[in-house]
Amino acid sequence: MSSEPIERRVSYLGDRLRGRRCQICGKEYFEIRDYCGNCGRKSFGKMVDIDLFYDKGKLEVCTFVSEPTNKFTKLGSYIYGIVSFHNGKIRVPGRLTDRIIKDNEEIDFSAFEGREVVPRFRRRYSVDRRDVIPTISLAFTLADEYYPHQEYTIIKPNKESDAPGIVGYGVYTSKFRIQERNIERSVPFIDEDAITAAVEAGKLAFIHSGVDSSLVGKIYVGSESNPYAVKPIASKVAQVLKLGEEDGDVQGVDAVDTEFACKAATSMFKDAAALVDYPKSNIQYAMVIGADNSQAAPRNCPGGELDLFVGYGGCAYIFGKHDVIAEIEGWYSCTSDTPDFWRRDGEPYPMHGGRFTGDPAYFKHVRKAAKKLMKRLNLQVKDINYFVSHQPNVQFPLKIAKELGFKEEHYLPSLQVAKFGNTYSGSSPVGLAAVLDIAKPDQRVLIVSYGSGAGSDAYSLITTGQILAKRKRQKLTVRYQAENPFLEYTDYAAYRRLKLGM
Amino acid sequence: MQNRPTIIAVGRTKFGEHYEEKPERLIEEAWLKASEAARIERKDLEACYLSDYFLPITNKLGLEEGFLSELTELHVPMEVSRSFSSALLNACNAIQAGRYNVVLVGGIEKMTDRWDKIRDDLMLLEDPWSYYAGCTPEANHELLLRAYIKRFGITGENLERLNIALAQVSVKNHLNAMKNEYAQFHRKITVEHVLNARKNARRPLGLYDFAPISDGATALILASEKVARKFTDKPVNILGSSSATDYLTFPARKRMTHFLATETAMRSALKMAGISLWDIQVVELYDQSTVMEMISLEDLGLCEPGRAWMSIYESCQDYKGYYEIDGRKLFVNMNGGLKADGNPLGATGGAQIFEVFKQLRGEAKERQVEIDREPKHGCVLELEGFGTKSYVYILGRE
Repeated sequence: MSSEPIERRVSYLGDRLRGRRCQICGKEYFEIRDYCGNCGRKSFGKMVDIDLFYDKGKLEVCTFVSEPTNKFTKLGSYIYGIVSFHNGKIRVPGRLTDRIIKDNEEIDFSAFEGREVVPRFRRRYSVDRRDVIPTISLAFTLADEYYPHQEYTIIKPNKESDAPGIVGYGVYTSKFRIQERNIERSVPFIDEDAITAAVEAGKLAFIHSGVDSSLVGKIYVGSESNPYAVKPIASKVAQVLKLGEEDGDVQGVDAVDTEFACKAATSMFKDAAALVDYPKSNIQYAMVIGADNSQAAPRNCPGGELDLFVGYGGCAYIFGKHDVIAEIEGWYSCTSDTPDFWRRDGEPYPMHGGRFTGDPAYFKHVRKAAKKLMKRLNLQVKDINYFVSHQPNVQFPLKIAKELGFKEEHYLPSLQVAKFGNTYSGSSPVGLAAVLDIAKPDQRVLIVSYGSGAGSDAYSLITTGQILAKRKRQKLTVRYQAENPFLEYTDYAAYRRLKLGM
Repeated sequence: MQNRPTIIAVGRTKFGEHYEEKPERLIEEAWLKASEAARIERKDLEACYLSDYFLPITNKLGLEEGFLSELTELHVPMEVSRSFSSALLNACNAIQAGRYNVVLVGGIEKMTDRWDKIRDDLMLLEDPWSYYAGCTPEANHELLLRAYIKRFGITGENLERLNIALAQVSVKNHLNAMKNEYAQFHRKITVEHVLNARKNARRPLGLYDFAPISDGATALILASEKVARKFTDKPVNILGSSSATDYLTFPARKRMTHFLATETAMRSALKMAGISLWDIQVVELYDQSTVMEMISLEDLGLCEPGRAWMSIYESCQDYKGYYEIDGRKLFVNMNGGLKADGNPLGATGGAQIFEVFKQLRGEAKERQVEIDREPKHGCVLELEGFGTKSYVYILGRE
């Protein structure tokens, strides 16, 4: 669609599946309506907002689309149907996503009909490369497969901490994987990109934290694979996840994208923490998301070595001072102008410094940031329970962990690169999430990110008693996503096609 | 009724692909056929009511009236609406109001010029939210069928019969079109053709279940009953004319198995015509798909909900040219329906009226329906979108 106003209107309703309910007769509409068709004028002012984004629906009927309309041809073929919500009060059209239909696969519609489905935020269809990327949540997956339905229940802020910290987090990777040599990597479905991963990760962070999204005052999205050269991911996240106070179609939230290769998100942890700690900011929560669907040239082309490690996913953290699960004890960051990885504007694939990405780049910065922070906080290895570092491959994080004196029990829980690949801005945050998924209260976690270009952020976090209570709220843990029985493995050709997107 | 609208002549082109013809040439051909039949001159026309669903998109024609004015040197009032039935309804209202005595109603569409983009256009105009979710023009029909099967609990052997009945609808329509010189398809098909196409597509409905895209034009001349006598001895009166509207978004409607708009329009058309349902012997249904022919029989009240497929199945075991419903004969889509006659959207309704007009006058040649003599009442159902608008006409001869 080349008409921005139409695109805006469709996205505004369709990204979050906004609707209204008449408080007089209870009729619901998938549409912003100021009055109810049944009740007429007396319903003015009595229509309340609803949205279906966190709800589960039921696939009422479905069929198979083998010859899509032009804008959907890149999806190949798919199951399409009608989804009802709220016991049939609202019905919407929708397609099943995350499903590769094989050429000779028998399709039994009654096997799908009647099953529960979860709305997923995806690209709507393909458009010209110059156009605005259309999105929608009229894409669904079956709730009894990879991605379960989870309630988003807002919890009133309770215990206030002295120090700011993490109050909730969410990790999102797709259900597709490619397995080569010793590592598995997450592969986006064809309608996914860094924007959709950011939104999905954010959604999971709200489910985990129970934070009221209207209390989030700032959102940072770190990515090096935003499909736009100009247009923030953060504004989309703010709108879909309803961040800040909503006033008409404007969200009362500050939103910004950051970019610093793989440390674009971790860099902002301290900013988010400082912001919620600063009394005059009037911001109760700040959110940081790292999401990437990074590009890699095909094998045997310049930059093609990246194609062996690139993964897909996003990770979201909410920072605040209430009901903190991990307080920030301190941090240290360092930077140098090191050209170990770069992508020029307009180029589809990044280039890589080969042998110079190790010692003069990754190791130098991670080592320095870790040592400096430990010294500053007067920490020894024995004081630290978990060590997390950036994971561009399997060897680097192992080597630096050992060099710093950490043992397997310190670093193995966070080592996720062999399950998801390098998720770039989401890489060390996913490692941290894997640790937070299992950590006990009062444990210390040292996380050191690395971003090419180059720099590192080191943080020391101390978990609290809240970590256990909130853990029950999240089914989609890192382990769940790594070991899910519904994972689907693709071959190299399918991986390239899916990665390229629609 | 002095101002009762009366059809005095009809004309149409062959439906199909008219690659070399400009859209205006097609409507000219249809108009000439109608006017020759009634020996009417351009100067007799007081107004023109035209229809095309999306010529501005398919042929980049924005002000269709101007083209027609250039072609005919007419400067009378001209209005364009989306379907032939919609144009006809406006014409009927004007004649009943006493505003005009003789008007032209014409419909035109040229879809094949844009064959590669037409399914996107159709879907986006018909049901935008479904389009955004990945719907195709075919998928809504299939979902309706799935909902029908579930609602009426059709399983096992009955489900097999239902599927065969729908195939027979297509076979029957192709058979009828063999006798229609204007039809897009002159080709017999078998139940196996229909079933195999479904099987290959792995879908509830296949290629042979759907009407094609077509080019074509239709026209009729409408007059007040009093004036009509000057032009013809065999006028066909429009006894009932009605329309109704439903939500654009199909999934959001109250029911997924039937079209409320058709039920509503039929009720008021019957009331206006003052005849009983079973006075209707010939009916032209809007069979965009085979399943639409089936549910239209139910929406019009000709079959009980959930039972039309049985009547179709039974009638087609040994097809005698009509559906037998509760012991009565009903002649359905004698021109081949949209499936085989063709479906140039803006002109389609004109072909449906054309058929009933010819049948009532006993001029349908090989296709002529005989009961005792030629039938007395006929009915036409035309839709816009996927059941978003329904138009029902009840026609009668004296």
